[in-house]
Order: sequence, then structure tokens, then C-alpha cells
Amino acid sequence: MGSFIASQMINAIMLACTLALIGIGFSLFFGVMDIVVFCLGDIAVAGAFCILGLTSLTGVYAALRGMFPAIVSNIILVICGGVFSAILVTVMYRTVVAPFEGKNINASLLSTVAAGYVIRELIGIFYPGGRDPQNFPNLLPAGCLFNNPMLSWRNIIIIGTTALVLVLLYWFVNRTKTGISIQALSQNKEASIMIGIDWHKMVFVTFLIGGFLLGVAGFLSASYSSTLRFDTGAMYGLLGFSVAVVGGLGSIYGALAGALVIAFVEVFVTGFIPGGAAFSGVAGFLIVVLFIIFKPEGILGEKSISKV
Amino acid sequence: MATRLNDKITAALIALGICLLVYISLMSPLLVVMIIVALLVVLLTYCEKTGIMDKVLHLLGSNTILTSVIFGLFIFLLPIIVQGNNDLLHIMIIAGILGIVALGLNFQIGGIGQINFAPAVFYGVGAYTTAFLSVKLGLSPWLGTVAGACMAIVAGVIIGLPALKARGYYLSLITIALQTIFTLMIINIPAIGGPNGIPGIPPYQIFGYSLHSSIRVLGMRLPYQVNYLYLVYILLALAIVAASRLFKSRYGIAWNAVDQDPVVAATQGVNLTKIQLLAFCLGAAFAGVAGSLYAHYTGFISNENFDFSQSLILICMVILGGSDNVPGVLTGALLLTMIDQKLMDYSNLRLLMYGIVLIVMLLVRAKGLLPKRVRIYDDRDRSTGAGEAKLAAEAGGKR
Repeated sequence: MGSFIASQMINAIMLACTLALIGIGFSLFFGVMDIVVFCLGDIAVAGAFCILGLTSLTGVYAALRGMFPAIVSNIILVICGGVFSAILVTVMYRTVVAPFEGKNINASLLSTVAAGYVIRELIGIFYPGGRDPQNFPNLLPAGCLFNNPMLSWRNIIIIGTTALVLVLLYWFVNRTKTGISIQALSQNKEASIMIGIDWHKMVFVTFLIGGFLLGVAGFLSASYSSTLRFDTGAMYGLLGFSVAVVGGLGSIYGALAGALVIAFVEVFVTGFIPGGAAFSGVAGFLIVVLFIIFKPEGILGEKSISKV
Repeated sequence: MATRLNDKITAALIALGICLLVYISLMSPLLVVMIIVALLVVLLTYCEKTGIMDKVLHLLGSNTILTSVIFGLFIFLLPIIVQGNNDLLHIMIIAGILGIVALGLNFQIGGIGQINFAPAVFYGVGAYTTAFLSVKLGLSPWLGTVAGACMAIVAGVIIGLPALKARGYYLSLITIALQTIFTLMIINIPAIGGPNGIPGIPPYQIFGYSLHSSIRVLGMRLPYQVNYLYLVYILLALAIVAASRLFKSRYGIAWNAVDQDPVVAATQGVNLTKIQLLAFCLGAAFAGVAGSLYAHYTGFISNENFDFSQSLILICMVILGGSDNVPGVLTGALLLTMIDQKLMDYSNLRLLMYGIVLIVMLLVRAKGLLPKRVRIYDDRDRSTGAGEAKLAAEAGGKR
């Protein structure tokens, strides 16, 4: 019984890490632009497909392996995936978000949902065999710490990366000038522009960071499950948005809190309620609905009062 | 009076022209249809710019009886015109069914201005209710349809109630979450078929005559689709009448008021709760009936018919055709269904097409192909020449 609970806890933590990374992406974008960009899950999957393409389709990975040791080539590959996602985010912003800025907020939600579909379908159509599940190469070191299967290097790296990302983001957002500017922008856009913060540059930086993060997130979750489907992006998008909403849209640590809540609820429902495996998703989304209705600012967000 | 007759003839010609266009599009292969659609878009944009569109719609609107008779005759004679081609009849039937759902969705998107991402939930609730009742409990399909509409209204309350607490953006997010919950539930509940869906749904029967039987007319054997064509279009006609009357009524105006500014609407005496719930429940009722029609027509439903993609397709119809007006929504439904069915050979590209169409429409022409007309409140002087001149002067002054 003890090891069952322990393994469920590990499952929950792993799930939380993956969801947290995507949720952070959602919160970052919402903080800067005040809209929920729904296609971020698909962008994460696109990053993973880029890495997959570099390894399986082209000989790039093999060439890299020839030149550098394994760990360096792996890191280069992950960076490539991240950069690809960042570029995709910028393109997506230019086409489907920027035209609606300040105008029709519903239209931007709709167009980002549609953009998610477009990205997903393009991957399915143009990647060779894109509609079938792909085997994701095992780029993370195999083996376990202390030979305990729950503490496999894969798990440790995923948890470690999430922690590293959080630490780096904290440092960036609180200790660098750019980061503080981004915070100022999300708190009060007009005042920030008035004191001379270059809004467009900040948004661009957020995209680069957010996009890169999404690529890494895609890589990690694909490595965890060892398969990659072109349409997992849909679920990631929904879960990422749920996580961000529960934790508080715009709050980075909120994304982590939301991820923990949703991950634990899902694993709890799957593990401890008979026949619950099917309904874990339902439970997760139900929590989101309840939060939006009763506590839209989330766990760590701030209550905003809109004046008439 | 000569002008009256002229008007009637022009209206009749326009209506006949539309019917001819529909017929040609039905019969043509995909490429020709795409060209026709492109030409249509150019034509519609031109008509908008030069103000011809206003006159045309005004003309059609004042001669509703004439135009309805022409469209009615077209549908009635369609099976003979297409020589019983059941593929083409199938396209028209599906266009009609989705048209009913789209009219209901229009109450939310066009009326109160909330993007509802879960119309497929209403559609699916109607379909699954009637399927379950007919297959597992042996209830008559007609009762099943009524029950489907009722259950859909319940779903409308469930989805509409959060509307009272969350506005705009957050409401759309709630509808996305609820649509996902619905899809997950229908895949996972074995009692309503699970991933296998519900097969073997019985067809409608009128006094023992099953609507699934083919009929013989003028020596031709017409497929059973004919029965469903008539049934669907009778119900579509009812839906059109209901939607148009709602649009012109105090409810329609109240919806638009809530869309523009809910606080001001509330201070003017609009009961926000009642009005918003009305939009969701009426829309749900339409979709529920349409879902039941679909279930009994195709005889088999599964979760794939009612997932997020279907919701996106319905939203695409309303946005493409023109939100908040009945002709626009119907145009969107017909156009997209035709293209969709013709794209069957390229089913790979289906969802990609919908995504791109939606993005392009939102970027270029968010109001749709047939944007909503400005409301005309003063109808009294319309019948006399003086009144028409006054209206024309006002419209000219506005532009």
C-alpha cells in the first residue's frame, strides 16, 4: 500500500511538472497581453516534433553525435526545439493575435483556438506519417538513482528542469531590468509605456522566453511518455489553460500551484476511485469551471475589481 | 401599382437566382464550387460597398411570402431536379440540420455576443437522449425528439448559469471546459455506448409509414432521403420563423443591448438572468431537436460527431455567414456543409480548412459574408412612397 501511494505521488509530481511548464507559458502570455492564447499546447508539440525531425528524419543528430559527446548534442537539440517553438510563437502572434489587439477580445480567443487547429493539422499533414503516434527518441540518460525505479534519471531530470526553470524565471522576473519591466507591463500597461518601457520589445522578449519554454516542455513530456502524437497539443492546451486559471492567470508560481492541484486531483481520481481512470479528466476540468465561476483570480492571483 | 409588381418580380428573380446557384453548386465538382464561392465572395463584397445588398435584402424582406413559396417549391422539387441523387440530398439534409443548430448558436454569438464553444454539447445531448430512449427503452422517435429538446434545454441551463457570474472571455473559457467534459463523459459512460456509440437507432414513423422507405413518384424511385429532406426543411422553416421573430422582438433587442453593455441594459430594466438564460436555452432547444433529427436520420451516433471540432465547425458557420442575422447564418451553414461534403476525398484537409477559414474571416471580415443589417425601427411609413423616400434619405444621410 505504501509503495502504491508513493508511486501515485511520483506520478502526480511528474504530471504536475509537465503541466506547470505549459501553464507558465499561458500565464506569461496572459500577463503581458491580457489574453489567453490557446494554441500554446500545439506549439509545445511542434517543438517536440522539430526535435523528432532532427533526430529521425534528417541526419543532423547523427552528425552532431559525430562531433560532440552525447550530452552536448542532446542539449543542442533541445535548444533547437526551443528556438523553433519561439519562432513559431512570434509568427503566430503576428498573424492571429496582433491584429485583434485592444479590439475584439472574443475574436482573438477564437482565432487562437483556430490557430491551434491549423498547427496541429499542418503537423499531421506535412510531417511524414504525422497522423500516427511517433516513437520519441530517448535522449535523456537511462538508468536510475540508487537503482530505485521511481527515481529514474528521467524523472529526476524532469523535476530538476522544472525547478531550474522556476528559479531562472524568478531571477529573471525579479532581478533583471527586462523582467521587472515585464512585471510593470502586466500590472499597468499605460503607466509602463508612459515611463518609457518599450512595450513591443518586452512582448517580443516574453515570446522568446515563453516559446523556448514551451519547446522544452514539449520535449520533456514526449520523453516522459516516449511517444508523440500530433494531437496531444489539444489536450496540453486545455490542461495548460486549466492550470493557469486555477493558479491565477498571470502568476508564474500560480501555474505551479495550479499544476499541483490538477495533477493531484487527476491522479487521486484515477488511483483511488474505482473506475476513475476515465473520469480523471472530467474531475480536472470541473475544478477549472468551479474556479472560474467562484474564484476567477485563481489561487495566487489578485482580485480585480472592474469599475463601471 | 407598377412598382409593387416590379418589386415582386425582382424579388422572385433574385430568389430563383439563389435557388439556381444552390443547384449548380450541388451538382458541380469541388473545383467549380470553390470558384463559385470565390466569385460569390467578390459579388457580396461589391454589393455591400455599393449598397445594393441593403436594397436586395429589403426587397426580399418585404416579399417574404413570395420568396418563401419559391424556396419551398425549390426544396419540394429538389429530389426530382437532382434525379434522386442521394448524395446531394444528403448534403442538403445535413445543411438543414446544422442550419437549425447554427440558428440556435446565433442567439449566443450574434444575440448576446458571447462565443459559446459548446454548441456540440446541446446537439449531442439531443441526439444521445433520443437515441438512448429509442434504442434502450423503445420509446417512439417523436417522443424521443421532444425529450431530446428538453434535455438540451437542461444542458442550456447548466451552461448558461455560469454566464450570470462570468462575462465575455471567462464565459467562453467555461464553455470550452464544459465541452471537453462532455466529450470525455460520452466516451467513458458505457450505458450510453461509450466509444462505440449507439447503433441501430430507429427511423421516424408516421402512422406506420417509416421515413426510411423510398417513395415512388412519376415513375422514379426516390431514396428515403426525400422524406427526411422534407421533415428537416419543415422544421428549418419553423426555426427560421422563430429566429426572425425573436430577432425583431423585444428579446432580440434586449440581447443586443446586453451584448453592447450589460450594465446599461440592466439599468434600463433588462433582466440579465432571464435574457441570458433565454439565449442559451432557446439555442439549446434548437440544437437538441436538430441532434435528434440527425440521430434518427443516420441511425448511428458516436462521440466523434459531438466533440470540440464539431463545435468549431458550427462557430465557423455563424462567423463565416454573418452573425446575428438569419440569412447570414443559413448561408454559412449551407456553404460550409457543401464544401465539407465535397471535400470528402480530401478528408485530411478538413479541419485545416475550417481553421484557416475561421482565421481569415476574423482577420478580413469579422462580420461575415452577410453582415447584420441596421435595425429599422420605424415601419409605419414603409408602405407609402413618402415613407420610402424618408427612409432612403435617412439611410443616405447615415452613410
